[in-house]
Amino acid sequence: MTIMGVCCDKPGVKVALTGNESIARGALEAGVGYASSYPGSPTAEVLGTLAKLARQFNLYAEWSINEKVAMEVAAAASFTGLRSLVIMKADGLNVALDFASALAISGCRGGMVIVVGDDPGAHSSVREEDSRNLCKALHLPVLEPASVQEAKDVTREAFSLSESLQLPVVVRCVTRVCHASGDVLLGELAPAGRRPAFNQGDRVITFSIKLHALQEQKLARASDWAGNSRLNSYHGPGDAGRLVIASGPCYMYALEALEMLGLSEQVGVLKLGVTWPLPEKLLLSYLKTAAEVVFAEEVEPFVEDNVMALAARHWDEVGKIKFYGKRNGQVAGPNGPGIGELDPDVLAQSLSAIWGTPYTKPALPAHQEIFDLLGTKMPDRELALCAGCPHRASFWSIRTALELDGRGGIVLGDIGCYTLGIARTGYYLLQTMHCMGAGVGIASGLGKLDCFGFDKPVITVVGDSTFYHAALPALVNARYHRASFMCVVLDNETTAMTGHQPHPGRETTATGEPADTVPMEEIIRGIGIPYAVQDPYDVEAAIEAVYRMLQQQGPRVLILRRACALAAVKGKQKNRVYVDPEKCIGDSCGCSRFCSKVFACPANIWDAESGKARIDEAVCNGCGVCATLCPQQAIVVERTV
Amino acid sequence: MPGQKDLKNDVLDQDLCSACGMCVGLCPYIKTARDRVRVIYPCGLAEGTCYSICPKTGVDVRAMDLAVFGREREDQALGVMQGIYIARAVQDRASGAQYGGVASALAALALEQGMVSAMVLTGGDVLNPYPVLARSADEARACAGSKYTGVPTLEILNRAIREGLDHPGVVGRPCQVLAARKAEHSPLPGTQFNQAGSFGLVLGLFCFWALDPKFYQFLTNKVKDKIIKMDIPVEGPVIEAESGTYRWQVEDLRPYIKKSCNLCLDSTSEWADIAVGSTEYDPAWNTVLARSDKGRELLDLALRLNVLEVGEYPAERFPLLRRAALNKKMRVLKMQEYQPGRPGCPVVPPEYQKQLEEQWGGIGQ
Repeated sequence: MTIMGVCCDKPGVKVALTGNESIARGALEAGVGYASSYPGSPTAEVLGTLAKLARQFNLYAEWSINEKVAMEVAAAASFTGLRSLVIMKADGLNVALDFASALAISGCRGGMVIVVGDDPGAHSSVREEDSRNLCKALHLPVLEPASVQEAKDVTREAFSLSESLQLPVVVRCVTRVCHASGDVLLGELAPAGRRPAFNQGDRVITFSIKLHALQEQKLARASDWAGNSRLNSYHGPGDAGRLVIASGPCYMYALEALEMLGLSEQVGVLKLGVTWPLPEKLLLSYLKTAAEVVFAEEVEPFVEDNVMALAARHWDEVGKIKFYGKRNGQVAGPNGPGIGELDPDVLAQSLSAIWGTPYTKPALPAHQEIFDLLGTKMPDRELALCAGCPHRASFWSIRTALELDGRGGIVLGDIGCYTLGIARTGYYLLQTMHCMGAGVGIASGLGKLDCFGFDKPVITVVGDSTFYHAALPALVNARYHRASFMCVVLDNETTAMTGHQPHPGRETTATGEPADTVPMEEIIRGIGIPYAVQDPYDVEAAIEAVYRMLQQQGPRVLILRRACALAAVKGKQKNRVYVDPEKCIGDSCGCSRFCSKVFACPANIWDAESGKARIDEAVCNGCGVCATLCPQQAIVVERTV
Repeated sequence: MPGQKDLKNDVLDQDLCSACGMCVGLCPYIKTARDRVRVIYPCGLAEGTCYSICPKTGVDVRAMDLAVFGREREDQALGVMQGIYIARAVQDRASGAQYGGVASALAALALEQGMVSAMVLTGGDVLNPYPVLARSADEARACAGSKYTGVPTLEILNRAIREGLDHPGVVGRPCQVLAARKAEHSPLPGTQFNQAGSFGLVLGLFCFWALDPKFYQFLTNKVKDKIIKMDIPVEGPVIEAESGTYRWQVEDLRPYIKKSCNLCLDSTSEWADIAVGSTEYDPAWNTVLARSDKGRELLDLALRLNVLEVGEYPAERFPLLRRAALNKKMRVLKMQEYQPGRPGCPVVPPEYQKQLEEQWGGIGQ
């Protein structure tokens, strides 16, 4: 799991990589020349990995301002004949959709791969969108790796497919592949060195219905190619009457589930590495012998619907087949069919119910012991901002200012660490939360309702990276229409949630080159919106700043700026923070456990035995904000500098 | 004794808070912006110091007389006192001071004499008043001049006590004087006032009502240039601005009078050590009521050190002052909203009430 493995020039050797590193390696083996991305889980580490190797491999890598721009810059490279890679999470594909739908018509030149990270179960996303439905609408081929090894192989293969079709190809990779680690058998690194060419007379145009016909032809060719692709494979008896059609890591789950049920010899598993367009001929050959087909895929019944449509079209060839999947509710996890992830256990239970094969969840005695031991003692870990997070101080200030204001002001938000403002850790402040930058747009809308008598003050919070990504059009709209609201930029000077990637407000680029910083103050000033800057760690001053600005009209911006607590202490000695038990009044009037119960930084804990507050020094990042809020000044900060 | 939740429900949400500031900053849960006092987070405790020291909860006039002075009052109009005078500052009359500058001079003297370690005052100007913790005579003099909106100045007292300040002094409105006395004498759930000891000096101001901050809006709409000074004599409010003098009727201000002030019985800071107000007839002088021994001694000292010039209170003015004070009390007692013992409504025990009515009847209207 190192950068050394990704760039290791020893074909035939196995190295341990993460799924994301494996994708990066696949791109290097395909001779990628240009890579762009906006960070998003689960695929955030792909571009970071390539950026570290940019110089060595003579490739260009950038963290673009958002996914649409990322796709445009990558397309530009492809138009000149370079191989290009653009990486985003499923939500990012939504952002890039307008351009993607046009690009799918115009086509590309150099191989262009769009890596889309889907997040079944929404581990680190606000929704578990299945991007395959969008890709189908876009007329783009979709390849799905089932393992860490395949993440590399599929990516490499995608480049050559794209180049031969002159059409971008999507590699849809789910969290369980992106974040898994495994042995990867390395292939040849491709020499870089293509030279970009875009000459007078070259045209890449999205215009005319004729191109639609060409698009359909490309897809038909892709389907033919898929029929022979090694990315699809079959495992099981010949002429299987019972067939599982699986894609992505569900292929692994299917193999494991069948083994647990003792059905490996009787049931065939057809793995689809190409899920759009479907390898129709291949599928038909298996459907002809199958009487029962089970679908194993995440999240939506995408393969299921399309295979059933295929079977319907060929009903006279395939005969009677009973299909089991999400549509009829037979393949379902605890949250219901088509909701959440699958796993071997879920699949084994579903197959057991379908075929009447008895299944009991294997007991894991060793683990059981641990669960028994800890089960009652382990507290639930709730979603929380990190210890010392400046957003906590900001949220506390906003909450306090709103209470002082007393007009029932409302708070909107969107995507970033500050999304946790919907939870206890953010004092349940956020009342709307949708997508990048949406809070500013919604605020702009609410800010015009005064003519109907809507008089509540409106605050929207937006992160610094999100500010550049998606807030600007809404801010311009607000200024133009004199919408009345307060935009609080929670500026932690990085794209924190996805691993501290730089953005246009920073001094360096993805590859560490010096950047021409675009300070947000200059943008806001340029739009003509009044603004102020305040350090959220100075809570009293921040409350005052929020309160003061709340009293104003029109659009206005308050930048609460303080570096992410994790980034701030990286590689440095932390301040030591501790509670003076003599001064702490704990449960009594005048405190009532403010630090641990209300402000609730994870480092502020309660020592039930002594009835005093305590600092969890392992967790504390030494910001000292709690010390300024403690009514008894019982919290002591020993500064290291 | 109830707590924060009751303070919120009974006082703050009922608009009965007079913005004295005593509960502000006792804990991290009660805060203020301008004169607005808010519970920003429920502390969850059933009993709270905040409720106990609130001047709008649980006041028995007679019990407070006994606690502060050790005796009952004879005069239901003006409360316990040892003497009433007119006075004015002789030297260093603070610039901007109201009338004779007595409050500023006495606050400065108390600081100079070490009677108090620091003095809580209201600084700033009419449009922008704010609390000040004066540690020197000059800092105290800089706060001269009346402010007519309720300013939660006692917030700064709490902060100072928490930081270890001993025997502080307070210059405040009657509600603030009462809050300070409740902190001194009530059994309190919290320990905030245990180390503070008693107050070095409680200097009360005369106050018939304070204005809501909406008054600022009124003022800025009417007066466009810089306001130098404000006064509300019997004839009605007067604003001295750079461009000239503005006058209105008291009735113009009535919409801005705080609800809690309409239910207040105390217009002369009855539980202060010494109370200072206007004379209502000579703008160069103040009325001074020496109430406690401490107040009496401070006045003697001021006279001895030639800080104040002190004169007899004119006999013909005395009934007028008493009438004004009694009228306010009787008006409150007859209000429909006045329900003794309810939040915002002090309890006047029957014997006091009887005397009150007799004394009021004895005053020619």
